Amino acid sequence: MVAVVRSSSEDVTVTHHASQRRAYLTLVLISLFCMMPFFWVVLAAFDPKASQFLQIPQGVTLDHFKNIFANESGMRWVLNSVVIVGSATILTLIFAGFGGYALSRTQAWWKRPLLYGIILVRIVPPPALIVPVYKVMLFLNDWINGLINQFTADVEQQQMLSRMFSFIDGYLGLILIHCAMQLPLAIWIMKTFFDAIPKDYEEAAALDGASQWQTVRHVLIPLALPGFAAAGLFAFINAWGDFLMPLMFTSSPELQTLPLGMFRAFLRVDAIDYGFLTALAVIYTLPAVIAFAFARKFLTQTFSGGVKG
Amino acid sequence: MIKLTYENRRQLGYRFMMAPALLLMAAFIVFPAFYAFSLSLTDDALLGFAAQESSFVGLRNFSRLFGDPLFWNSLKVTLIFVIGSAVIGQFVLGFLSALALQRPVRYKPIFNAIICLPNAVPEMVVGFLWISMFASGEYGTLNRFVAWFGVDPQQWLYTFPLLSIIIVNTWRGIAFAMILLTSGLAAIPKDIYEAARVDGATDTQVFWRITVPMMMPTIFLYMFISTVTTFAIFGLVYTLSRGGPANSTEILGIYIYNQSFTAFQLGYGAAVAVVSLVVSMILGIIYVKALKVEV
Repeated sequence: MVAVVRSSSEDVTVTHHASQRRAYLTLVLISLFCMMPFFWVVLAAFDPKASQFLQIPQGVTLDHFKNIFANESGMRWVLNSVVIVGSATILTLIFAGFGGYALSRTQAWWKRPLLYGIILVRIVPPPALIVPVYKVMLFLNDWINGLINQFTADVEQQQMLSRMFSFIDGYLGLILIHCAMQLPLAIWIMKTFFDAIPKDYEEAAALDGASQWQTVRHVLIPLALPGFAAAGLFAFINAWGDFLMPLMFTSSPELQTLPLGMFRAFLRVDAIDYGFLTALAVIYTLPAVIAFAFARKFLTQTFSGGVKG
Repeated sequence: MIKLTYENRRQLGYRFMMAPALLLMAAFIVFPAFYAFSLSLTDDALLGFAAQESSFVGLRNFSRLFGDPLFWNSLKVTLIFVIGSAVIGQFVLGFLSALALQRPVRYKPIFNAIICLPNAVPEMVVGFLWISMFASGEYGTLNRFVAWFGVDPQQWLYTFPLLSIIIVNTWRGIAFAMILLTSGLAAIPKDIYEAARVDGATDTQVFWRITVPMMMPTIFLYMFISTVTTFAIFGLVYTLSRGGPANSTEILGIYIYNQSFTAFQLGYGAAVAVVSLVVSMILGIIYVKALKVEV
């Protein structure tokens, strides 16, 4: 009955408080759900007696992290990941920079078909490609190894070159496949950013006597820097976290990257070193989280893929 | 005359700039996508006689496919997985967080960061984290949690495999839904809400009569993107369950992998891939048409 005599402004504040409480409750519950799995990995990474279960550590130790850098395979996985994903990201940026610029500036007949094509390519599910891509990689692999064998007869050199340039179980193959997978999104982002740079700037620079290269270096690249940042961050995050390509195209332990190395170590059910693996998981996750924090503000732009309004 | 050659040179330049990216995408995405169709008409295999010399078998792979209960099981699992995690799980929790974050709550950046965290974690680590969460026995994290409610310890990944991977993917994708839906909410003009308040509309009425209709384009966009990305998931489920136990989590991507590289039947695997490609291309064309994508 109190509610009846309550003035309408009080009524508003009551519902306001109630919905405010609901908002906090929602956020706290969802946040707890989101955080729950992380407690274990963070605690276990510093726990001298790490296990599969969430537990309060008896002490704090950095041994697991030291182990990664002392342990040959841990260090190798980290380095391989950095080299492969790093090179793929740089390559993606170069090709997407050129491609995005061309797509933004050209008015040729191939502009629209290519843009629609890129949207469709982004929709292709990678698992559907594994069989034909495997065949393509196999073909390129035979070809490049034929070249290597022609180039040198020294077996040791052959092995070394094969490790570098093979398409299956070699660095080059993994770098190129990661690059190809990240290109559609990266080109799209670069095209969008170049679209926002008026052509007048380039023309003005050209009128002032700047060479083509000077225009690119001093006008285009600085203006497109946020685009490169966005494209690079997303290429890095996606390639860094990818599991399918390493699974398909690496077998030798020397080439193992973080996701596959960890996965195989985890499959050895009898002898899982949880301290080592959780510390490695922390190291593997940190770069992705940092990159995501920077990339977050660009995220909504990448969803739409050209949707206006 | 000079202008013409300059223009021509520039047009040629654009083609050269486009070439490396185009070559890579053609070699590793476009050509393989078409190649999958021709491979699906052969008995190609990874081992044995057919590995040396595969032969044309017409539509035999497809007739086998449509009679294969494991294929239908995989389609069903994929459908439930997509609907359970992307259409329902991520969407509902993402929408709720987006709505809550619209209100003047404190610690907004902290809530925001926490909800985004799962999205930033690599697939392999997601599997690793959740295997610990789902660990059986009374010390498993989830088991200890449900024990508060008097539930006995479960073997989550064995008793509720499909539900488990749906929960994990929901967990991972809340951020994506939240970010996209937040941008949609922010685009709704504030004066509509004020007008409704002045007219005495309740919270529920405002939500169903204003927020939801105004959000429809964003919701549609979200549904499309999340369906396509969830359809393409591999690593997340593979690291958790590898499709097991007994094919209960064998989503299409894992079915393709298992048929091709565990059972070594490349031709048959390619036939499954063709089905998956056709489904995603239909989705893609609907998207381009329905949203009138401007390029």
